[in-house]
Amino acid sequence: MSGDPDAYELLKSIIDLSTSSIPIKAKLEQMLQTISEAFGSDQCLLLRREKIVENGFLSRLALERKPFWVDEESSYSGERIHPREKEFLRPTFVCIPLYDTTTFLGILYIGFSKKRKLAPQEIDLLLLIAKEMGEAIRNAHLLQKVEQTSSELAALHEMGKAATSTLKLEELLESIVKAGLKILKAKGGVLRIEDRRTKELKVQWSLGSYHQNPLDEKIAKRVLFTRTPFLLNHFSQDNPILSILCAPLLSKGGVLGTLAFYDKEADPSKFDESDFQLLLTMANQMACAIENALTHYETSQLAEANERRVRQLIILWELNKALLTTVNFERIVQMTLTAITIGAGLGFNRAMLFIVNERTRSLEGTMAVGPDNAEEAGKIWTTLSQRRESLTDLVTQLHLSFDSNSTLNSIVKGIQIPLEQEQCILSRTVLEGRPFNIQFPQAEEERLQTRCERGCHLGSEVGCYVGEHLGDPRPYSFATVPLWGKGKVIGVILVDNLYNQNPITEEDLQVLGMFSSQAGLAIENAMLYRNLEEVHQTLKEAQTFLVHREKMAALGELSSTIAHEIRNPLVSIGGFARRLYRSIPEEAPEKRYTQTIMIEVSRLEKILSDLLNYTRYDALVFKELNLPDVLEESLSMVSEKFEDGAIELIKEFAQDLPKAMGDPQQLKQVFFSLFSNSLQAIKGKGRLSLRVHPISKNGSSLIRVEVEDTGSGIDPENLHNIFNPFYSTKESGLGLGLPLVYKIITSHRGQIEVDNHPGEGVTFIITLPATQEREGK
Amino acid sequence: MKKILVVDDEESIRFLYQEELQEDGFEVEVAVNGEEALQKLPRFKPDLITLDIKMPGMNGIETLKKIRETERKTPIIMCSAYGEYKQDLTTWASDAYIVKCADLTELKSTIRKLLGLR
Repeated sequence: MSGDPDAYELLKSIIDLSTSSIPIKAKLEQMLQTISEAFGSDQCLLLRREKIVENGFLSRLALERKPFWVDEESSYSGERIHPREKEFLRPTFVCIPLYDTTTFLGILYIGFSKKRKLAPQEIDLLLLIAKEMGEAIRNAHLLQKVEQTSSELAALHEMGKAATSTLKLEELLESIVKAGLKILKAKGGVLRIEDRRTKELKVQWSLGSYHQNPLDEKIAKRVLFTRTPFLLNHFSQDNPILSILCAPLLSKGGVLGTLAFYDKEADPSKFDESDFQLLLTMANQMACAIENALTHYETSQLAEANERRVRQLIILWELNKALLTTVNFERIVQMTLTAITIGAGLGFNRAMLFIVNERTRSLEGTMAVGPDNAEEAGKIWTTLSQRRESLTDLVTQLHLSFDSNSTLNSIVKGIQIPLEQEQCILSRTVLEGRPFNIQFPQAEEERLQTRCERGCHLGSEVGCYVGEHLGDPRPYSFATVPLWGKGKVIGVILVDNLYNQNPITEEDLQVLGMFSSQAGLAIENAMLYRNLEEVHQTLKEAQTFLVHREKMAALGELSSTIAHEIRNPLVSIGGFARRLYRSIPEEAPEKRYTQTIMIEVSRLEKILSDLLNYTRYDALVFKELNLPDVLEESLSMVSEKFEDGAIELIKEFAQDLPKAMGDPQQLKQVFFSLFSNSLQAIKGKGRLSLRVHPISKNGSSLIRVEVEDTGSGIDPENLHNIFNPFYSTKESGLGLGLPLVYKIITSHRGQIEVDNHPGEGVTFIITLPATQEREGK
Repeated sequence: MKKILVVDDEESIRFLYQEELQEDGFEVEVAVNGEEALQKLPRFKPDLITLDIKMPGMNGIETLKKIRETERKTPIIMCSAYGEYKQDLTTWASDAYIVKCADLTELKSTIRKLLGLR
């Protein structure tokens, strides 16, 4: 020792060091250095627990917590000293155990090579210094603890922030893995979530390539299954070190997945117990957030799906409501196609309907809705987007402006596809009863072949007639859905997006399918209703006919009885009047009286024969005849009417007329009646036109005769009665002319129609069946 | 003088035919129905018969059949208020069919023709 240390200077240095911010290790080293220099010692050490020999002298000192020194005046002869300690201890030394309340911190040891005296002041100074050193160590420990706690807290805070910052599953998972990496100082991390439906454990987020290691997935599955966290520090020749931390994500609902981290960014790169605890804390905290996010994710997925469904259902409901407004076939079909094409409805560009004809086993183009070209499409869509009515109103009103003359409509109406034509998609839709969605058909069989014999398919004809002109049809995408009636396919709806080229999705097709099944029923109903109406009409006609015939039969019976009873008296009245007439001289007034009786009797007899003619059932004598000849004969019976030239006669007989089958006498009667009526209706000047033409209806050959006059026409009030017997508007006559005409024509299986223009004239149109053989063939 | 048998249930018709035909120079006998006509036939031996169809008792068609069973040469003119039997009767049994009419011109000319008179 160079001398008594300057106690003040020494303490000042020690306290300065103690309060400085240098790390504890350096701090202690400098303190020991300072002490050594101040006392001139050979040794100045801080003996840690691990440096102290067990059960030795020093360990006893540590236990006793008492300072101990040896100098010139004292020795430790009485003490039991371990041989290793003997080597170490100097002749003069001071040992001061350092304590932090109960925790042993170490022993401050100062040794001198030579024996020297230790002044009591020196001992006091060393005790003070030791105390200060103990304080410094304690402070350092505290500081370390505080720092660690605060960093963990900061890490957990960060996790918490991550957990609450977002409900978006992706983002949450990403931030959890990232925060975990930062907290645990790991090189990689994997987060797995178990799919609730498939029970499959899927990697949701990972950093590094650890998830590719087969061991990783095994561990994750084990952790998930056992719900127990797992720590592995794996040492092997190949991989220097593999350290894995894996914890289950447990929530109240069960286990959600696993969270794993790999290889610490430190040396050695392995995780310790505290990292493990930290991971468990993290996993517990995050599980709840993940569960919430998962639930939120699933809920929003569901909500989105529901919203879409509801929107579709509303559209379907509105469209169905529109369909309920009518049972008229044409209108239902128009509304269906409008609903499919309208933007607020199903929004396809064009829609075409084909109905199955059971009789001919073919599909017949029924109607098409859609613009003829892109400009028209743009115009329509702009107009429609400005309308603000409800969908139902829109659909029910729109069809009124339906353009039945569109090119598309007329093309589709001309299409007829035999169902046997199985390579056509439309036929297949019917036969297989399922929809087709054809995107840019590549194969021949995916094309729409509506008219095989002409070799053109709908794709080039309807789909893209523009392309056909260019000789290079564009690829044509379209979809078909079957139209279901009750238990059978009644037709096909074809849709496309020719103008905006929007792809047709499976979902579009699904909605179209739903709507089509409703529309199918409505269309089937309308068809049934239409059939019903037709049948009803036929029945009504049959009923009218039956009633009419019944009336006639009764009338016939009645009148023939009466006629017989009246005829005999008439014969004798007339006969004797004639006898009287002959016996009365020319100049006698009685001559005129009897003549009047004779004339009136003749008139009565004429009425009687008309009546009997009408009511009796004469067997018809059918012959093959030339109608113009019959007409000429009838004309000759009224020829005197044309003599004064007031009435013009126009004849228009077609060349190459087929022959007709009929009773020439009765037909002569028919035309005679018609001519007589016409000529009687023409007051003064006028015209009688006769036209005879061959026509064809429903595949059978007919002859059409028109008798047109420029007379007064028929009072609309009487029109429905003209074929009823005794309904004469003439001052004379029984009113049996037209009824007889009607009777004769119907017994010839012909038809009679009246085209009446009151005040202008009337045209009687008679159609009679022709014989199959044509004249001259 | 040619003899004509007029068969009719109507008194006024019988009277008219009788008056008219006698005036034209025929000998006329009348019968009110088929039975009476068949009774009078063998004794009167007419050259021509006019036969009404609708009569009470034996009607004209039955009478015609009966007469034709025994002899076929006497001309028979069917006279009726109806026109419907015209085709049938003229084809199989009678010689003429006349729808009764106040104007007897047709009847008289038919009789003359059938009797070969001018």
